[in-house]
Amino acid sequence: MTDKRHILEKRFELLKLVREFFWSKNFIEVETPTIVASPGMEPNLVPFETIAIDGRGEKYNAGLITSPEYAMKKLLAAGFKNIFQICKCFRNSEPFSGLHNPEFTMVEWYRVRSDYTDIMRDTEELFNFLHKQIYYQISKRSKVKDQGSRIIIYQGKNIDISPPWERISVCEAFKKYAGIDLEKNLDKKSLREKAKKRGCTINENDSFFDIFFKIFLTEIEQKLGQNKPTFIYDYPIEMAALSRQKKSDKRFAERFELYIAGLEIANAYSELTDANEQLKRLRTEAKERKELGKTIFPIDKEFVRAVGKMPPSAGIALGLDRLFMILLDINDINDIIPFPAKDLFKK
Amino acid sequence: MSTTSDIKRGVVIKFKEEPYLVTEFQHVNPGKGSAFVRTKLKNIKTGKVFENTYKSGETIEVLKVVKKKMQYLYKEGNAYCFMDMRNYEQTAVDDDLMLGKGAYLKEGQEAIILTLDDSPVGVEIPPKITLKVVESPPAVKGDTASGNVTKEITLENGLKIRAPLFIKEGDEVVVSTDMGEYVERA
Repeated sequence: MTDKRHILEKRFELLKLVREFFWSKNFIEVETPTIVASPGMEPNLVPFETIAIDGRGEKYNAGLITSPEYAMKKLLAAGFKNIFQICKCFRNSEPFSGLHNPEFTMVEWYRVRSDYTDIMRDTEELFNFLHKQIYYQISKRSKVKDQGSRIIIYQGKNIDISPPWERISVCEAFKKYAGIDLEKNLDKKSLREKAKKRGCTINENDSFFDIFFKIFLTEIEQKLGQNKPTFIYDYPIEMAALSRQKKSDKRFAERFELYIAGLEIANAYSELTDANEQLKRLRTEAKERKELGKTIFPIDKEFVRAVGKMPPSAGIALGLDRLFMILLDINDINDIIPFPAKDLFKK
Repeated sequence: MSTTSDIKRGVVIKFKEEPYLVTEFQHVNPGKGSAFVRTKLKNIKTGKVFENTYKSGETIEVLKVVKKKMQYLYKEGNAYCFMDMRNYEQTAVDDDLMLGKGAYLKEGQEAIILTLDDSPVGVEIPPKITLKVVESPPAVKGDTASGNVTKEITLENGLKIRAPLFIKEGDEVVVSTDMGEYVERA
């Protein structure tokens, strides 16, 4: 533990700085429940499950949130404007690896009357603010004059963090790194042929997503965010999750992910505000969960209503543990978390 | 039949009809669709490296390797030489098949050599190895104040690790070959 104290001091300093950043932009810090009846419906996430018992001994099935998204959107529907939250999120059945911990710290923020491009700018600003503050403290101690550098070194690689960061659409990335024209291959059959030609191991029952990810994880993901942080945006509409359809091209959704040094840091949307469409997507996800043999949680009807009531907004979930790893040049998430699961549950 | 849950570093699998050593793997869970296992594979015959992503639960063919107990002799260029003490046959294992385990070896160390059709494909060594300390600088004043209560020591085979301040030259220490960390004084 003593070995880690130094790093943890910086982590706690960074947490304070994240709050200061959002407060200075007049965001309101909010809190929402951790233990809920509907913890999240993403087909492949495994929420921690528990039972809530009231004073009379009545039992309720419950789970720990995988992200605070549903509740924060309810706040938007209730009239809150720009809000942020720093909270623990929980995902079971993830490896205790150098990149995962079953509970992790997320900062999630929402902007009303905005879209995902505004969130990209927020993210650039936040990162540069944190870097400047941390770097300034170090240079004050060691009396370094140059405080203007916008190059960080992560695991020996130079990454230029000055805005604007790289913006590349999913289609452009498929073309650039895998030589596949995704726009012309948005159906399972033709993408399968392309993937086979690239040498991917493809099974007959692989879905479009399976093939998409086999290509993406093998050929694209690790190349993102190498010289500059990368926003990869506009996902096929089937992967919209909670984002809205792109007005100019209905085959895609306004969603982006942030990668730095091949590491996924954040996921953001121009938010879906169509309650019917939201309900439809949740039902599809519930069906997929059933097929995968996963627990099906009740659909949070209040959340569906909130989606219909909230103003056009954009929001993002950003993993702070990973962001701090990048800022402090640390390659193992366990080094930046006090008491990581791999030590707590050692056999 | 094996599945992706059998994928580990050092396992040999059949990929495109040829034997490949798994040198790295990582579980990835994009949330939508399935979970995946991303692998780095090294062709045992040609040395060529491939990356491939499997869907969790997919069947894969794990090839059975033959295990032979041998003793480590010396390093020559990029190869680690071992000897089978029953018949004095020698085998050289390339550095990139060692997956970092070479750093823990010292002369005479017992190891299990994995072979496929008589060619070496990997090495297993004990999870803990005892090594003698040859260099251990005295603790520098201020080390403890900064919360940093370890120092770098050098072991008889040249390996450098971090160890507590009380470790002296001539001590023997137990090192974990999994994490490359100091475990205890032997």
